[in-house]
Amino acid sequence: MKKLKDRPFALIGVNVNGYDPAQLKAAMEKEELGWRSFADPGPLGRGPITVSWNLTATPTFYLLDHRGVIRRKWVGGSGGAVLDSAIERLLREAEGRGSPR
Amino acid sequence: MGRAAAGWFVLLSSVAEAAGVQERTAARAERFEALRRAFERASGGGAASDEERMQVIARVFHHRNRIALELVELAEEASDDPIALDALTTAVWQVNTTPWPIEVAGEDPARGRAFALLQRDHLRSDRLGPLCQRVSSGFCGEYETFLRAVLDENPHDAVRAQACVALAHFLKNRRQRIDLVDEQPELAREFEGLYGVEYLAALRGQERAQADAEAAALYERAAADHGDVKLPGGGTVGEQARAGLFELRHLSVGKAAPDLEGEDQEGIRFKLSDYRGKVVLIDFWHQY
Repeated sequence: MKKLKDRPFALIGVNVNGYDPAQLKAAMEKEELGWRSFADPGPLGRGPITVSWNLTATPTFYLLDHRGVIRRKWVGGSGGAVLDSAIERLLREAEGRGSPR
Repeated sequence: MGRAAAGWFVLLSSVAEAAGVQERTAARAERFEALRRAFERASGGGAASDEERMQVIARVFHHRNRIALELVELAEEASDDPIALDALTTAVWQVNTTPWPIEVAGEDPARGRAFALLQRDHLRSDRLGPLCQRVSSGFCGEYETFLRAVLDENPHDAVRAQACVALAHFLKNRRQRIDLVDEQPELAREFEGLYGVEYLAALRGQERAQADAEAAALYERAAADHGDVKLPGGGTVGEQARAGLFELRHLSVGKAAPDLEGEDQEGIRFKLSDYRGKVVLIDFWHQY
């Protein structure tokens, strides 16, 4: 995912610990995480985003295409190679190079 | 005189019987507590390499499967004791659907016996709620059979409510696992080893829309018939059912993702839709 710097891709986290932004920033510095994350303040696993998206396990991934449509969903993790190839396919669509599936 | 003596004798023996029952009940309670503690202790951590991790998992599974068998034996002996259901609930522990290879996970000989006992002795219990919740995140065929039986036969509204929403969760979650196997066929071997070749084939042959439609119908039924029933972990059946329906209708592949709005780690407000035009990977994560 490091090679995606110049391509139309964004990794957006949702932290489910229930931290407020200041707590989240401290946690991300400790874990050395650089990407943008939503804070979801509230009891652990009970913040408004986590509840409305009905989270049951972490990690949970949603992969959206450039039109905001959910194209893949992995509850409780996924293999790295599968994620990379799925992202690549959607990047080609966004760049006008691939054909939609 | 004969009758009075007989009455006296009956009284004494029933006192002795009661004392005996109390002793047995206390002994069983102690044994259950010891097994439960041993079960909790059987967790692993701190493995460095993949191989070490597999070894830890194999040890944990082996240990827990062995304790599960002892719990089932306790439940078999104590079928008229409320502790039997506690023992069986603890014995049903494989509710994580990570597909460890069968060589690592080993067989779970307790499961079949546990569900046979549940079916025979406990289907009408008013304390099945926690077990229904527990199996809802699992994958085994026995869990589906059990939940359907509870939904059909249990006389307690609160229990049927939990079985209804648990069965909906189970069907939805199981279908997501099958999607994973369809995407990564090399996982099929693990799932087959853990759950059975025919079972997995039948699930893979099932229409996705049909599985989701049944889950949605169960969520709707749970919300309509049992919406106000409170759950032990907080919230109501209605809330859980509506969340499940929302997920099926708006958070499945092919749907336009709902927008998200909130603050980031710098306190800056932003929305998911700000990123329209880019491929976005949303990662729900937590810090241990």
